[in-house]
Amino acid sequence: MSFPQLLRRTLLYMAVLTFALWVLVPIFFIGISSFTPRNEIYLWPKSIIPSHFSLDTMRFFLNSYGVLTSLLNSVWVALLTLAFTLAVGAPAGYAVARFYFRGREGFRLGILITRMFPTALLAVPLAVTFIKWGLYDTLIGVALIHTAMALPFAVIITTGIFMGVPKDLEEAAMTLGCSRFGAFARVALPLALPGLAAAAMFTFVISWNEVFAATILTVHNRTLPAHILTTIQASPLYFRFAGGFFMILPALFFMFLIRRYLFHMWGGATAER
Amino acid sequence: MKKLSVLAVALLVGAFAGLGQKITWMSTQFVPIAEAEFVRNEILAPFAEATGIEVEFIGAEYAEFVSRVTAEYEAGKGEIAVLCALHGDFVSVLDALADVSGVPVGGTISETLMKLGQMGGKQAYIPLMQATYLMVANKKALEYLPEGADVWALTYDDLLQWAKNIYEATGMQKLGIPAGPKSLLHRFIHGYLYPSFTGYQVLAFDSGAAVKMWEYMKELWQYVNPAAPTWDAMDTPLLSEEVWIAWDHTARVKQALIERPDDFIAIPSPAGPAGRGFITVLAGLGIPATSPDPDAAAKLIEYLTTPEVQVKILQGVGFFPVVAEAAGAVPSGALQILAKGVSAQAASPDAIVSFIPGGISDEYKKIYKDTFFKFVIKGEPVDVEFLRSQATRLRELYLEAGAPYPAPDGS
Amino acid sequence: MNTRLRQVLGTDTFLPYWLLLPTLIFIGIFFLMPLFNAVILAFRSDEGVFTLEYFQRMVGDVRFIEALKYTFFLALTIVPIQVITALAMALLVNAGFRGSRFFLYIFALPLGISDLAAGLIWLSIFTQHGFLNSILYSLGIIDKPIYYISYQNIGLTFLAVVAAEHWRATAIVMVILVAGLQMISKDYLEAAEVLGARGWKKIWYVILPLLKPSLQSALIIRTIFALQTFAVVLALAGDIIPVLAGEAYFWHFFYRNSHIASAYAVLLMVISIGMTWFYLKFLKSRMEVIRG
Repeated sequence: MSFPQLLRRTLLYMAVLTFALWVLVPIFFIGISSFTPRNEIYLWPKSIIPSHFSLDTMRFFLNSYGVLTSLLNSVWVALLTLAFTLAVGAPAGYAVARFYFRGREGFRLGILITRMFPTALLAVPLAVTFIKWGLYDTLIGVALIHTAMALPFAVIITTGIFMGVPKDLEEAAMTLGCSRFGAFARVALPLALPGLAAAAMFTFVISWNEVFAATILTVHNRTLPAHILTTIQASPLYFRFAGGFFMILPALFFMFLIRRYLFHMWGGATAER
Repeated sequence: MKKLSVLAVALLVGAFAGLGQKITWMSTQFVPIAEAEFVRNEILAPFAEATGIEVEFIGAEYAEFVSRVTAEYEAGKGEIAVLCALHGDFVSVLDALADVSGVPVGGTISETLMKLGQMGGKQAYIPLMQATYLMVANKKALEYLPEGADVWALTYDDLLQWAKNIYEATGMQKLGIPAGPKSLLHRFIHGYLYPSFTGYQVLAFDSGAAVKMWEYMKELWQYVNPAAPTWDAMDTPLLSEEVWIAWDHTARVKQALIERPDDFIAIPSPAGPAGRGFITVLAGLGIPATSPDPDAAAKLIEYLTTPEVQVKILQGVGFFPVVAEAAGAVPSGALQILAKGVSAQAASPDAIVSFIPGGISDEYKKIYKDTFFKFVIKGEPVDVEFLRSQATRLRELYLEAGAPYPAPDGS
Repeated sequence: MNTRLRQVLGTDTFLPYWLLLPTLIFIGIFFLMPLFNAVILAFRSDEGVFTLEYFQRMVGDVRFIEALKYTFFLALTIVPIQVITALAMALLVNAGFRGSRFFLYIFALPLGISDLAAGLIWLSIFTQHGFLNSILYSLGIIDKPIYYISYQNIGLTFLAVVAAEHWRATAIVMVILVAGLQMISKDYLEAAEVLGARGWKKIWYVILPLLKPSLQSALIIRTIFALQTFAVVLALAGDIIPVLAGEAYFWHFFYRNSHIASAYAVLLMVISIGMTWFYLKFLKSRMEVIRG
């Protein structure tokens, strides 16, 4: 390796490392705070590494009134959202990927436009409607509005995924005597499955993180972010840090699982070129 | 000793006359299931054991409370023997209440609090418990107290000088007032500042005294920690020592005192030119005119106002005692420090008690907060025209709802 | 699409519409209906009279001008910084060195972090006795804590919010740009190299123009979301920096006036549509956006 090449390499790695630190250090801080003994949180000046690590703060957080219930609620809402979103959105994604039809571009544009409106605009009037329908303060109600929010992404992502499954294979299956549905179920679906799983996880994360609508549409059946937001003014600092850390944990995990598929969602490019 | 004698009397009375008695107690307080369970098991069960009077506790929402009490009064015959409700709830059923001035009390209730229960030419209720907002100070701040100032009876001028002394000595702004989006800043303005400086919370909104008050607030604000507009509760900045002196609701400073009870004291809010304005959320006990058993009801009231029971209520549901003796009876720790501050504030001779507005649009909070935002946070000069237009809007809100001005204006 | 395929797949003309139906119904109920209701709420009083009162009161509000100003400021500051950072990250990752996949995952991490969590994370850094002041103090750079978040220094507070938002939402821009970079055909790049374009020249004259559609979608998506920024501002700057989305939230929650809350929401919608229209007109190539 020549000197200029070596220099370029070094600069490249230094730049990449700088960006990586920029992303990681704040996450590191909240992680450290969540495992710092409670009385050290308020010290000044704070040492970056606490005198010892302790599960005390985490235990306090998890044992606090309402945390476990809201945690379970969050999981339920996210799972329901995931199921609704895929059931509703995937067929649309498939249609856009496979067919040319009148209004196709209009549909794609329209679905993007729905993301353009503030959540407040949807959640405020929906609260009134949900009271009438008996969906107010229910997990299904929250899951439904999360579905509405995740749906545009799901349609775009699944379109990309089905575009990545070669049409020829489905055609071949049909010439070999499969029905339209049979060809889809036996050929396209298995090939699209990993991508769909990634879309599902992304939907899960959207629902897991959403706080505005979940707060407006519930009173007792809070999700975790809604619970944290509504109790934040009366909760000690270490509770907030533990809450923040707990909220990002599943997100980090799922992001790791779906890292290969991130580009499906935004680029429509095929995975892993 | 008083405790024992009360119990002894109660026991005797119970043994002779009270056997098998049963009364109904309707309450707009202790309604949540956990609190109701607490009242039944921890408060009423010992009472029944001691006196033989069984009390059936019924929790009710405001609307149910008013319609039931009114209906019994109009029928001239009732089942409910005793009532527990907020001051404002009692106002709505004033006619249906018996005069309770003759009912014995288990401890000493300050004149200020007792007077609040006098409405419609009678003692409508006997105070039972209170919640309020006060100041908490780190003991480190005490050495900077201005000369001649009594920390238990501060004035707003003392507070200004105190914060200024600390700033000059440490270079830091150590005074804390919660001014975040979810803070109770509006309570500070309408229940503390306004009554202390003008004597009213609504009527003198745009008066000359109010202009002086805003000028004062702008000056005080120089010594308030500049992160104040991000704080919703003061326990965290107190613990991190970003502030040494703070004002807030008891529930929102409690955590600091629980974690480091040796480092803090709770003290009354300051007094202004008009007096010591503070808010009391006051719940009391009343007897309906149609009560089937006023004697048993009176016994229950006496029992509930004993220092021991008052302390139990504080520990169980977080409402503070109204009985002076109770403050000393609270086991040491956070609650004792707070209880001491609360009773000192309630007993101050220059008290101007304010109530929280009821029955009007929550927009009134915005009127107080916006004025604060404009003059204090944005630092614009105090503008009488603006005060006048805000005052007009505030009165409109009361007018639209047909609601009376709360104390000190309305009483 | 070739004719044979059309024969095989397109026999049922109605099939695609059946597949779209669930999505359309869903959007109708959970999007169009509330949208309609919100506009009604903003223009009609409880007595059923159409009125501009709520808009007048919104505009006359003490905090309105401030909120409008900071909402625009935030969007106009954050979005360009983000696009530049994200472009740098995307180009670096795309350089294809050993471990680039791993770094790509790291860079994309904030994508999974909610605004509430991001607000809490940066709160631990920027409070008076937080990590930043602790580090500076321990290193002897400062002798007493600096107030980063202070109504007396709105500029600094604003920068703290920008720092947090920049950190949280750059990942999405980067992912869009990486996807765009991967779609650029290798042939173009090779041709460019043959013609002698290297380094910065290659980036400026070849890659950037080809990346325009991706940049455009990233700009639109980020601007729209930046206009709605609220949880991070609320967590970090409290009442110091009012924003439009926050005002809508306060009117709904604290002052219980859904009419004025809806007026704010409608205003945000109008601004969003206006900005999108501006980008589309200004940056052309309309259909490319859709693919974004």
